[in-house]
Amino acid sequence: MLEFDYYRPKSLPELKENLSQPGALMLAGGTDIIPKMRKHKFKPTILVDTSGIPDLEFIEDQKEEVVIGSLTTHQQIARSPLIASVNPALQKAAESIGCIQTRCRGTLGGNLANASPAADTIPPLLIYDASLLIQSLEGERTIPLESFLLGPGKTSLEKGEFIHSVSFPRLKDRWGAEFIKVGKRTGMAISVVNAAAAVLLDQKGRISDARIALGSVGSVVIRCRETEGFLSGKNPDREVYAEAGRQVREEIRPISDVRSTVDYRLHSASVVVSRALEAAVEMAERRNE
Amino acid sequence: MTEAFQSVGKSVIRKDAWEKATGQALYTADLSAEDLTFGAILRSPHHHARILNLDVTAARKVPGVKAVITSDDIPGEKVFGPLVQDQPSLASDVVRHLGEPVALVIASTRIAAEKARERILVSYQELEAVFDPVEAAQPDAPQLHTDGNIVSELHVGDGDITVGFQEADVVVEGTYNLPRISPGYMEPETSLAIWHEDGTITVWVSSQHPFTDQAVIAAALDMPVDQVRVKSAVIGGAFGGKEDSSLSILAALGAWKIRGAVKLVNNRRESFLAHPKRHPARIHYKLGARKDGTLTALQAEAYLDTGAYASYGPAVAMITTETMTGSYHIPHVKVDSYVVYTNSPLSGAMRGFGSPQSHFAVESTLDILAERIGLTPIEIRERNILQPGDQLYTKVVMNESALALPECLQKGREIMNEFRAAETTPGKLSGVGIALAAQSMGLGANVPDDSSHRLEWAPDGSVLIYLGAPDMGQGLAAAAEQITAEALGIPYERVYSLPLDTLETPNGNVTCASRMTYMAGNALLDASSSLIQSLLNEAGRLLDQPPDQLKYRDGMVIKPDGVEVPAVEFISRLAEESITLTAESTFSFPYPEETTPQHLPIGMPHVLYCFGAQVARVEVDPDLGTVEVTHFASIHDVGKVINRAGVEGQIEGGVATGLGYALYESMALKGDAWVDSFTEYLLPTAVDLPENYRSVILEVPEASGPYGAKGIGEIPLVPTAPAVANALYDALQVRIYDLPITPEKVMGLDK
Amino acid sequence: MKNIEVEFTLNGKKTSLSSAPNLTLLDVLRDELGLTGVKDSCGGEGECGACTVIINGKPVNSCLVFIGQVEGLQVTTIEGITPEDGYHPIQRAFVEAGAVQCGYCTPGAILATKALLDSNPEPSDRQIREGLSGNLCRCTGYTKMLDAVHRVIDEGQDD
Repeated sequence: MLEFDYYRPKSLPELKENLSQPGALMLAGGTDIIPKMRKHKFKPTILVDTSGIPDLEFIEDQKEEVVIGSLTTHQQIARSPLIASVNPALQKAAESIGCIQTRCRGTLGGNLANASPAADTIPPLLIYDASLLIQSLEGERTIPLESFLLGPGKTSLEKGEFIHSVSFPRLKDRWGAEFIKVGKRTGMAISVVNAAAAVLLDQKGRISDARIALGSVGSVVIRCRETEGFLSGKNPDREVYAEAGRQVREEIRPISDVRSTVDYRLHSASVVVSRALEAAVEMAERRNE
Repeated sequence: MTEAFQSVGKSVIRKDAWEKATGQALYTADLSAEDLTFGAILRSPHHHARILNLDVTAARKVPGVKAVITSDDIPGEKVFGPLVQDQPSLASDVVRHLGEPVALVIASTRIAAEKARERILVSYQELEAVFDPVEAAQPDAPQLHTDGNIVSELHVGDGDITVGFQEADVVVEGTYNLPRISPGYMEPETSLAIWHEDGTITVWVSSQHPFTDQAVIAAALDMPVDQVRVKSAVIGGAFGGKEDSSLSILAALGAWKIRGAVKLVNNRRESFLAHPKRHPARIHYKLGARKDGTLTALQAEAYLDTGAYASYGPAVAMITTETMTGSYHIPHVKVDSYVVYTNSPLSGAMRGFGSPQSHFAVESTLDILAERIGLTPIEIRERNILQPGDQLYTKVVMNESALALPECLQKGREIMNEFRAAETTPGKLSGVGIALAAQSMGLGANVPDDSSHRLEWAPDGSVLIYLGAPDMGQGLAAAAEQITAEALGIPYERVYSLPLDTLETPNGNVTCASRMTYMAGNALLDASSSLIQSLLNEAGRLLDQPPDQLKYRDGMVIKPDGVEVPAVEFISRLAEESITLTAESTFSFPYPEETTPQHLPIGMPHVLYCFGAQVARVEVDPDLGTVEVTHFASIHDVGKVINRAGVEGQIEGGVATGLGYALYESMALKGDAWVDSFTEYLLPTAVDLPENYRSVILEVPEASGPYGAKGIGEIPLVPTAPAVANALYDALQVRIYDLPITPEKVMGLDK
Repeated sequence: MKNIEVEFTLNGKKTSLSSAPNLTLLDVLRDELGLTGVKDSCGGEGECGACTVIINGKPVNSCLVFIGQVEGLQVTTIEGITPEDGYHPIQRAFVEAGAVQCGYCTPGAILATKALLDSNPEPSDRQIREGLSGNLCRCTGYTKMLDAVHRVIDEGQDD
């Protein structure tokens, strides 16, 4: 294990100050950073341990939107009744991450900052047009999650910046959202492909708004806006879902790697999108009853 | 004859389980010593390279470093190997696989050892590498060893396959590819060696063969064997992978060099790269049958990839070859098998030892044939299963063990029907499959296979077993204690196995080959008889009675007048006279001359077999290709259950390993790197196993076994993968020839 | 690299130590404090659960916790749930159900079970499996571990 100076700030101002120092890396749950440090993929000279900061662990209902503190753990998100009712896709995704031991430590902010294209929390946040509040010693800024993700392991975080919280607006009226993950094993599964879909239905039961996000099919999680456009105004039925499934293939760029092949990812992306749409529509339709 | 057993046949609690549950059990990495130092191994970053220069001067200067050891420093044998002495303890001129040990640093802390390791300068000249055994067997392939890349080959047959295939109405052929599998024991390899002032060395090992370790360590250090003491710590699983002395030799080298104590601990990556794996295999399998389903001919060719060093490769190939006909009688057979070096991490012993590979081919092909002919999987098997008296193609005559086969099929049929009746989850397709298995016991004919164990009657009346072979977690100690308790008629709670110590314990040989309960059990039955006889002799002396007038039963010496005296009274009296009652016995695996054919190479044939069957029900997502095993049943004949919970545990664990083989596991080369961590090498977790599982245990007594017991260690993972593959075919009509079954392969999108 | 001072509760006792900050809780427990019940199997990737401890009621892989991160927290190891005399009901259940073979994964699995049952005293089959899905075992196939957990639940209901 590398050597580093260890800081343990007890407040947000202290955290900002610590992170502003050159070579500083923020440590949240550690489930991604510690293995990477062992392999020398991250070589911080200063490790800033956030476990002494309570301010960033929260899930807040702010009427029009929900705000999640960046140090909230996946387990807390998975168990939150608020998240289950407002963004069931996120709840399902958080529950599917790793195993109980890693969920009790891994944080939402850590998952986003790690920016793996396979990260399970990202698709459900993207379909809700989530944005991040980024802070630093210099101030703060808000950025849509979609713009925040730049590539595998790459985000728009600048030196000294950290994710304070993630927020997303509630979906209104007749809405539904679903998350589906395909892994190579049921337990402790890293996604081969994952998808989140949300739909809003108008009074005639047609799709007024559809959102689709696919992970592990490109260098970042992808919002499939062209397919979303196709879905707008359509009467929901199996044909439409299947066609959407076909169309997303044009919007993604999967690769072959140790886990899967291009062809399988293209195919399974189609399948999970079509299924996620169907499930989202069913949920939306049930809201009338 | 029905006997009421006191101990044998019951579920007993293993005595070592308590300390394991409290965390007090001491595995080798938990041990310490005075002035303990730590080792770090420099490993080859290349698959195949010549070492041009190795400079350790800078490394030696790092603070805390006690020694940096290279091949030149090894005083005795620089290479070892159970069958071919081809494996260097430390590479000298060539490295043949990624991760091969090149140098060893010993330092006062692990961190200092790792720092010093970074300072070792090695210049390599990379050589062309080969990873495929068929390619490596060609004359133009890069040559790994001086005698070429083919380590061994076997050509075994019976009858005339030309005639056999002519008699066939249907012939099916296919090529099966089996992957490299890690034994996956939870405890990575570790060794702690301590040099003593008197010039002896003690080495703690996590090993299946401490006596072999003793011999190879002595050879490497150029020391007499009796100066090397090997002690077995608690072992965290082995499954064949710990029949390899490489780490214990290095620990001993370190201790010898610094005249101190050295601990070496492999991390998981090192364990993947540098300890034996299951042989990858390519098997071409051609099977012919008449239209009534009787098999007429088999031609099979197998290439086994033994990696950079031979390890147990030739022996694994023997089992692959012998089990190529599975549980069936086939009159005309020709099997050719080749063990080939490649620049992969070495393959060696792993639970099943060549039989899982052959069985995937046999049991898959049978189902393919059955469909072509219009028979069910059960029918084609029923038509061809071995019966007692049948001659295997190796000319071994099958004994009563084969009586288990019809019962396996009968139970299999019932369970298949039951599984078929289960409701299928909407959106999925379900299928049921069966596979049989034949697993041999023992090391093979003409391989010396003696197992010695000793009993001692302690003054308090308890009995100590100097168990000559290690319990690697499978429960050998409990079974040995039960058998001894039964034979002596005393409670199981009063019999204790002692940890193995080459100084005190007789040589029980290596724990492997599904035979140690059988071997140790038989030896202990004999030793128990001797012990009772010694007791009666001494009791006679003390009572001034002729010993043949005394009887023994259930811990009591019975005088001629019928009065019973507790044996413990005599034993404690003897202790006062400084007399200890002991009895040692050696059991040799029986290869009766009359029934053991002699025309095959040493190590063949195996003459004792156990049989089993497994049934799998799968549900397949037809659009995603994901396969879930919802129901599973194993049916195994063990001859006689010794520890019921132990037998069940072995089967349950074996099935899980078999499911891993079927669906998840493959240590493949991805780009330039091997899969070398549990992140990518997927072992089944608790949510991956079937929710509906049952075990049926049959007892067809083995006349030569202790209380009729046979072995169970390996067979539970042999029929699993083909049962799953057959179930998948039943569900989706997709036939997988290459394990593991992945969604990509099921959908035909794996390229 | 400067040492740090860490104060936390270990197995119910207030513990202070001075440590290099780049050691994990696993390293410190085993190498500094001699508590070897916690094990390394996967090489510190959080993939096997053999290093499981309980921190403030939650099951955690101690290989993925730097020692400084336990400041002010309550850490429980397998040694901490073992009573002076006898055994914790979960330990007893694992042993009696035959769920202990080589035993290397056992302490981690027992602690994962304790954390599960403390937060959910009547888990479903599925929940038990999920609660143990972070603890790899190569010997048992998990079957008897699940039996052991059921034994604990059933015995608890008899009280």
